[in-house]
Amino acid sequence: MSQYIIRRLLQMIPTLIGISIIVFAISQMVPGDYITASQNPNMTAERADQLRAIYGLDKPPVQQYFVWVKNMLTGNLGDSFQHKMPVTKVINTYVWNSFAIAIVTLILSWTIAAFVGVFSAQFQYSFFDKVVTLLVFLLMSLPSFFIGLLAIKYFALDLTWFPTGGMTSAGLNASGFAYIKDVASHMVLPVTVMTVLNVGGLTRYFRTGMLEVIRQDYIRTARAKGLKERTVIFKHAFRNALLPAITLLGFELPGLFGGAMILERVFAWPGIGQIYLASLNMRDYPLMLGFTMFLAVLTLLGNLLSDILYGVADPRIRLK
Amino acid sequence: MKKRLSLMLVTLMAFGSILAACGGGEETAKTDTTTPTETATTDNKTDETAATDEAEPAAEGESDAIGLTEATDMNSNPEAAKARTDSMIIGTTAPQGVFNPLFHQTAYDVAIDDTIFAGFIKVKGDGTYENDMADDIKISEDNKTYTFHIRDGAKFSDGTPVKASDYLFTMKLYMDASYDGQSDPLSWNIVGANEYNKGTAKEISGIKVVDDQTVSVTVSDYDAMTQVNLGGIAILPEAYYGKGYKQGDLTTVKALNTKPMGAGAYKMKNYSAGQEVDLVANENYYGGVAKVPNIIFKTTTDTTNMAMLQSGETDLDNITVNEDNVEELKSMGFLDVDVLKNNGYGYVAMNNKKPMFADVKVRQALTYGLNRAEVVDAAYGPYAEVINIPQSDVSWAYTADKINPYDYNPEEAKKLLDEAGWKVGADGIREKDGKKFEINFSATAENPVVDALIPIMTENYQELGIKLVTETLDFNAIMEKKDRGDYDMFFAAWGLTPDPDSTVYITDGAQNNSGYSNKEVDALYAKGKKELDLNKRKEIYAEAYQKINADAPEILMYQRTNMLAINGRLDGWDITPYKEYQHSLSQVEVAQ
Repeated sequence: MSQYIIRRLLQMIPTLIGISIIVFAISQMVPGDYITASQNPNMTAERADQLRAIYGLDKPPVQQYFVWVKNMLTGNLGDSFQHKMPVTKVINTYVWNSFAIAIVTLILSWTIAAFVGVFSAQFQYSFFDKVVTLLVFLLMSLPSFFIGLLAIKYFALDLTWFPTGGMTSAGLNASGFAYIKDVASHMVLPVTVMTVLNVGGLTRYFRTGMLEVIRQDYIRTARAKGLKERTVIFKHAFRNALLPAITLLGFELPGLFGGAMILERVFAWPGIGQIYLASLNMRDYPLMLGFTMFLAVLTLLGNLLSDILYGVADPRIRLK
Repeated sequence: MKKRLSLMLVTLMAFGSILAACGGGEETAKTDTTTPTETATTDNKTDETAATDEAEPAAEGESDAIGLTEATDMNSNPEAAKARTDSMIIGTTAPQGVFNPLFHQTAYDVAIDDTIFAGFIKVKGDGTYENDMADDIKISEDNKTYTFHIRDGAKFSDGTPVKASDYLFTMKLYMDASYDGQSDPLSWNIVGANEYNKGTAKEISGIKVVDDQTVSVTVSDYDAMTQVNLGGIAILPEAYYGKGYKQGDLTTVKALNTKPMGAGAYKMKNYSAGQEVDLVANENYYGGVAKVPNIIFKTTTDTTNMAMLQSGETDLDNITVNEDNVEELKSMGFLDVDVLKNNGYGYVAMNNKKPMFADVKVRQALTYGLNRAEVVDAAYGPYAEVINIPQSDVSWAYTADKINPYDYNPEEAKKLLDEAGWKVGADGIREKDGKKFEINFSATAENPVVDALIPIMTENYQELGIKLVTETLDFNAIMEKKDRGDYDMFFAAWGLTPDPDSTVYITDGAQNNSGYSNKEVDALYAKGKKELDLNKRKEIYAEAYQKINADAPEILMYQRTNMLAINGRLDGWDITPYKEYQHSLSQVEVAQ
């Protein structure tokens, strides 16, 4: 097993090199750079040249690429042009805020999707199943900012149950439990909206997985043995129905850290998604490239993780 | 049957959401396009007071739409706001956390830095400057040596006095080879600056510390902006920022970006990235301790800022100007709504280097032939005005004298095109020397002006017998086409500095996007830059604007507005398009 993991990790190296070349090449082909994107009305041609020299943007692209890679190997992703601080520090400042809502959303949406999926599979074509199917497609097709705004309107403005946006109340000097409570109340709306959006697709996965398993012979056998329906569904069928979902779980890893560009903006949530989007608009290459590579590494790790977990869960494909 | 019905419902819902998506996209795009024009511009100004020139032919409803509307009903003020007697909360787009006047870039970082740092001079409401931390400024006969005297009692927020050596230290940071902020310090022409920048000298020979309170600066060449460049910089304490600084490496200075210290009215207590900035009054402030002890800058977005004002969670915010927003804010009753002219203008650039636009008659015809008033009204309603010179009408350099307003006149346009030799062909499209009059027009996507402009422009020009081919591109892509000279026309906007000096209309100027060249205009701009007498400068720029107006190098479109909404419980503001709200924060008080 450990040999397999090491082999897979080694295989990641050429993949990452390939990704870095593609990402860097795209950034070079995109028109404009940080200096033109700043649109400073006082920028003279001389000053623009000075700045490009300071940032190393005047060097040929190939040389820029190797400088970037060399720095990256020493753990230095460079300084963000916009934030004037190391990229790693920028990411570290914002990524955990995104992680906080992403992890809660993940837990909630998987739990809800698992239950709803199982029930709608068990009672296929029942009224419940049809309502769920309709709802699922409805929620999947709603644009996030639209329900985000709707939620703000009803729950924050009209009913004043929750704050309109942000992560903490302005001027809050609390720590410990009071702080967590404040953040939690700010999290309710964004987490709800994200869960509602995610749960739709996941429910379909679970439903399909369950439908496949429920028709298997061993389920009929279990029923024939006289087992309770609950035991049959949750003990015998559910575990097997979960298998395909494990693959999916691995893919969620980069999503946990990737941030939500649109919803963070709607809810004024201080996450990394907005920062990443701004870095694209402002051509802040060190931040843009650094974060893209960070996500690439997470995606590869997520892949590896799901392969390993799959092996652990399913003896049929366990590796020797 | 049932299945089909639910399918239809789903389709309907999906369709509805697409429509919603379009509507919302526009809204977000609005702020996106606003932000770049609001990027920090280093303060550039002359020193003399100026009379305002208000001879503009007013567009309908202008007097109503632009200006301050006071709160009408303070009883409706939410409890949340009333309860804050010793603090105010300012809603702002998230600053980037660059709280250092050397490096800041967004208008939001600038606003916070303006409250924390102070310099020798400060901006006045009309865009000119007055003494701030300096109580005396002497300029030598040849305009090349500037001596600043620091007022008694000027202290940094830690209680240590502001010294002339701190000024010298700050200048060294600006002249450092690794300085990558938005200013262009080498263009200030300070004697010895280049040597310090290259590392061949350890000191800047042109800056002399006379005593603790006096510093003199010598420049190799002066212009109208020299005094503002030298006096306008915020002074950083050497004892705090100087630890670990080595010539050629500003890393240790940048490391303090989130822990600023200056001599301004407030000092920073806490910064949570993306969330809020907490400031407390600086008890050592030489201008008198600020009346409101606490300020919180809280992050809002265009989706939440109105709601937060309404619920009393914020006291002040910048809101996108449109008729719905203005009406809603006014109807709340407890907000002062201030609609201010934006320092900038939108324009359609023409490639003056292409043969078809090289003819002044064609450029004039294209200006006459476009119904600009209709475009501006469709995009901004009464909250923007058509302009005819590239200057804000609140600037001292503005003139309406001998300026052709180019009112929409298709007949005149057709006549000019005929005179230029563009004759209507068999298919209704004008042609000259066998070439069809076809214009490729590039503009950024999802911009309210572009949305209004493209259909009107296409129709107007079709009437003239010109075919307009439009494409929407990313802003940077348009700029790249411009740099290559591979374009006919594009739409963009400029930010304006308080000083009229600019390189937009001078031959081969760094910002000359249209390739326009007129030797007389070049000479006038050069003369205006060198002249220190404000009244003489006014005449020079008026003449330059008249020439530009006659040459029509680009189609000037509009000057738009910005809007501030402020809770009526706060009094004592002094806000103009040049003096932003943050400059009067220290004198604002809570009305009971």
